[in-house]
Amino acid sequence: MAANIIETGGLTRSYGDICALKPLDLLVAEGEWLSVMGHSGSGKSTLLNIMGGLDRPSAGSLRVGTEDLLALTEDGLARFRREYVGIIFQQHHLVPYLSAVENVMLAQYFHSVPDEAEARSALERVGLGHRLQNRPGELSGGEQQRVCIARAIINSPKLLLGDEPTGNLDHKSTLMVMELLKELRAEERFTVIMVTHNQEVAAWGDRTIYLDDGVLVREERNK
Amino acid sequence: MLLAVLAMASSLATALGIVSFSMEKRVAEEVRKYGANLVIIPETARITVGSGGLNFGEISEPAYLEQRRVEEVLAHSGLKAEESFHLRCPLRFRNGDIVAEGVDFVEIRRLFPWWQINGAWPTAGEVVMGSDLAARYGLKTGEMVELAGPDQTVHLRISGTIATGGEEDGLLFLSLPELQQVSGLGGRLSTVRLLVTTEGENLRQKAATLQAHFPGAKVSEVRQIARTSEGLLAKVKLLMVLVTAVVLISAGSSVTGTMSTTVLERSREIGLMKAMGGTRWGVLLIFSAEAALLGLLGGVAGYLLGIAIAQFITKTVFAASSGFSPWFAAVSVGVSLFLALLGSLGPMISVFKLDPVRSLRGE
Repeated sequence: MAANIIETGGLTRSYGDICALKPLDLLVAEGEWLSVMGHSGSGKSTLLNIMGGLDRPSAGSLRVGTEDLLALTEDGLARFRREYVGIIFQQHHLVPYLSAVENVMLAQYFHSVPDEAEARSALERVGLGHRLQNRPGELSGGEQQRVCIARAIINSPKLLLGDEPTGNLDHKSTLMVMELLKELRAEERFTVIMVTHNQEVAAWGDRTIYLDDGVLVREERNK
Repeated sequence: MLLAVLAMASSLATALGIVSFSMEKRVAEEVRKYGANLVIIPETARITVGSGGLNFGEISEPAYLEQRRVEEVLAHSGLKAEESFHLRCPLRFRNGDIVAEGVDFVEIRRLFPWWQINGAWPTAGEVVMGSDLAARYGLKTGEMVELAGPDQTVHLRISGTIATGGEEDGLLFLSLPELQQVSGLGGRLSTVRLLVTTEGENLRQKAATLQAHFPGAKVSEVRQIARTSEGLLAKVKLLMVLVTAVVLISAGSSVTGTMSTTVLERSREIGLMKAMGGTRWGVLLIFSAEAALLGLLGGVAGYLLGIAIAQFITKTVFAASSGFSPWFAAVSVGVSLFLALLGSLGPMISVFKLDPVRSLRGE
């Protein structure tokens, strides 16, 4: 049985009087694909941001790998994000004036040293070897998301987080992206945590948890 | 946009700096046209007149400067000046006295450029007569005049007349050595007029320096011109400094506004960099480097533009070239860099504090 890569204990996040995440205890095994579902405002993106070191919990404990995230400073969290995490956003957030390969190299810049050959290789892996010099505006939605995936995995993260990565894609592109993620997970063995409101997308994961008003109300193993 | 603002600001600072730098020389050249700005006059000796216990009052006896002493002092003073030596004394003409002034006509042509001779400038054995004097005696150019001193008489030809509207119109001008000989006042001077270059040191200080060497004389500024030139120069320099300051403050505000807009427009990009693991200082460094690069480019462009503007100003105002000042390139780049970084300070603080989650959400 795989060790747990993520352990939370009473994890809470409040914004003033609003409690976005009520005390949550959660374990995620190394290499697992966890889908997080819930309606808007259920706290799923909040949970993802906290696990990715982008946000700090108000209370509780959170360990990712060997890192106690609550004990990290701002710069410590930045280092954690650099070394542990790759993020795929719903809106891609590609830099519009950089080409596809330059967008991927941007992730390398903060991690180590930009390496164009490595970036090209990552793009070829996601099927965009012929679109290296194109800017985001010249790519389709699915292609942009694949650039995003290449950017997220270029530094070999242990944790790949996806915040509704297929939210803006059509059905065909969604399938393409999910197939790609499945292949990459099999090769790279990273842990995936994916937020989605799409049942079909959630079913790609090993397990799905359901949040409602910041509370974990249900979890189930996917076939 | 930011590059244009920085280039314009640094070009104006450069242009005004170059113009100000070359202006002292230009103003000195312009003021030169108005003649001497310092004059040395011997203190008049006063003698009490009386007899048998009666006091009839005081009379003044003409006093003179020793020419050799004056030449020595001026040679050793280190003063940069053009000089004109004058001797004024009466000579007998027909049955009366006329006032004659001995001068060096070469010096006169340099120091008194407004003199226009109706006729020709005199050579040896010739004189220039004031127009009023000529009219009084019914004399014309080409006629001979007989002038007598205490021991000598000379016959000189009138080469031309002069009409300035000033006291020159009532005088007779001949060469200094000639008058010194006829009048028996060899080696004596009545006044010395100087056109001192006023670059740097104040004219009043130079007058004081000279005064120390002439205890029996009075060294005075030709006040109106001296004050006008120094006062004018100081005022124009102050105006340029104030205009430059206003331009730089405006440019600084514009830089701040532009950088704030840039940070706002690129807030998602900043959030993305932080999400990917960029530290606050690391991301700040990227944007600061961008601002510095723009400052550098703006400074170079501003220097080239500034030279062109300075040339235009000095050609238009002084009909002269402003010259080439390579060290102003450092000034231009320095000003532009300073503006870019100072103007970016506020926006950079925003970059530092930016929350990646909120910025990626578009808040």
